[in-house]
Amino acid sequence: MVRIRLRPDLAIILVCAGLYVAAAAQARSPQGSALSVTVTAVSMPLVTVTNLVGQAWRDVREGQRNLAATLAELGRLRRENSALLRTNQLLGAEVASLREGSRLLAAFPQLAEHATLARVVARDILRGHIVRLDRGSGEGVRLDAPVLAEKGLLGRVDRVQEHSCRVQLLSHPAAAAAGRIVGNPTEALLMGGDPPRLTGLPPYAKVALDTAVVSTGSEGIYPPGLLLGTTMESRLEGIFTVVPVQLAASPAEVTVVLVLAPTTRTAP
Amino acid sequence: MKLALAFAVALLVQLALTASQLWWVLSACQPLLLVVVATTRKTGPTGVAWSGLAAGLITDVVGERIIGPGGIAGAVAGALVAAVVRRFEMEGPLFWIVGSLLAAASSEAVWLLTTATLAVRPDHAWLGALATVAMTAAAGLVVAAGERIWREWRSPTHRRRRLLRRL
Repeated sequence: MVRIRLRPDLAIILVCAGLYVAAAAQARSPQGSALSVTVTAVSMPLVTVTNLVGQAWRDVREGQRNLAATLAELGRLRRENSALLRTNQLLGAEVASLREGSRLLAAFPQLAEHATLARVVARDILRGHIVRLDRGSGEGVRLDAPVLAEKGLLGRVDRVQEHSCRVQLLSHPAAAAAGRIVGNPTEALLMGGDPPRLTGLPPYAKVALDTAVVSTGSEGIYPPGLLLGTTMESRLEGIFTVVPVQLAASPAEVTVVLVLAPTTRTAP
Repeated sequence: MKLALAFAVALLVQLALTASQLWWVLSACQPLLLVVVATTRKTGPTGVAWSGLAAGLITDVVGERIIGPGGIAGAVAGALVAAVVRRFEMEGPLFWIVGSLLAAASSEAVWLLTTATLAVRPDHAWLGALATVAMTAAAGLVVAAGERIWREWRSPTHRRRRLLRRL
């Protein structure tokens, strides 16, 4: 019996040559074999499992992305909601102002023709006794123009800019207005202060509580017949009666006012 | 036994990388060639050539191509890698990176050459060959990094540090 022993390096060369010949033969007669069917059958489960793992991984990633997108959307919607709430509040305030202005115009139809409707943009009631309006000379507001609120006179314009003006309130220490108590023909002077007081009444004059005080227009600023306030408990200073007045218009609550055309002053 | 296990695992990975849910470029990777590179540490050039032959034949079979050119290409690549690794005494990360790059490049070159002489239309051309080289070399890089980490973890220095931390 003959035993052939090949060196490994020669053997591999021979095997490679054989493979080359076999490959050439396969190339000449290309057809599917049972081997390829077997390979497919073996590899398919593995590929399926890997696909399932890959799909699960993609699902997780997609879920993470969706979660992030949903959270971002939620944050955006929250911001939008708060912005809408703010806008809603502003619109509510605007509507309230417009309603107040509408009531004001309806209450004084005879004055509305030459008047300017203005909004209160700033107020310093306790220290400066002023309010600032959003209308100025550009809108026809003039110096000394009387300012009327829904409940009564508020004061007069003491400074005017292009698009704003300052109103000196009747409670200002330097403010003064001619007025009279309803039912009493005597004219008196309403002096500013806290509270404003009615002076110049006849000696020992008797004044009923809660009586309306209206303007007479003698000082040349305020039109006659507009409500200034109501009387409080009067007191005697010497022989003269001084009546503190509760002003009708509360500057802390007023949002819209009517700036009237200034009354033409007449020489004393 | 270890070699057979490594071949089996590499084959499974090679098949799994063709799954449609994975990044399509990964299917060009040839983990079986990394096993061939790994055998250069255990056997001589002829043994590595035999393992390359086996890897190539398996690749031909699972790729449903003409059986033979892959085997020839694997054998040549294995012999070349073994010769280069021995000549330059490569160790560490360089061994894996150069080994996998050389194995993939030479295997693809020989395979293209063989199919050309057989007058067979190959299932991939230069672009496919380039992707195979790149992805196999990338896999070699990953293995090199993994081996580095593994060695670092098993090193006496690290073991001593762990021991000291417990005290």
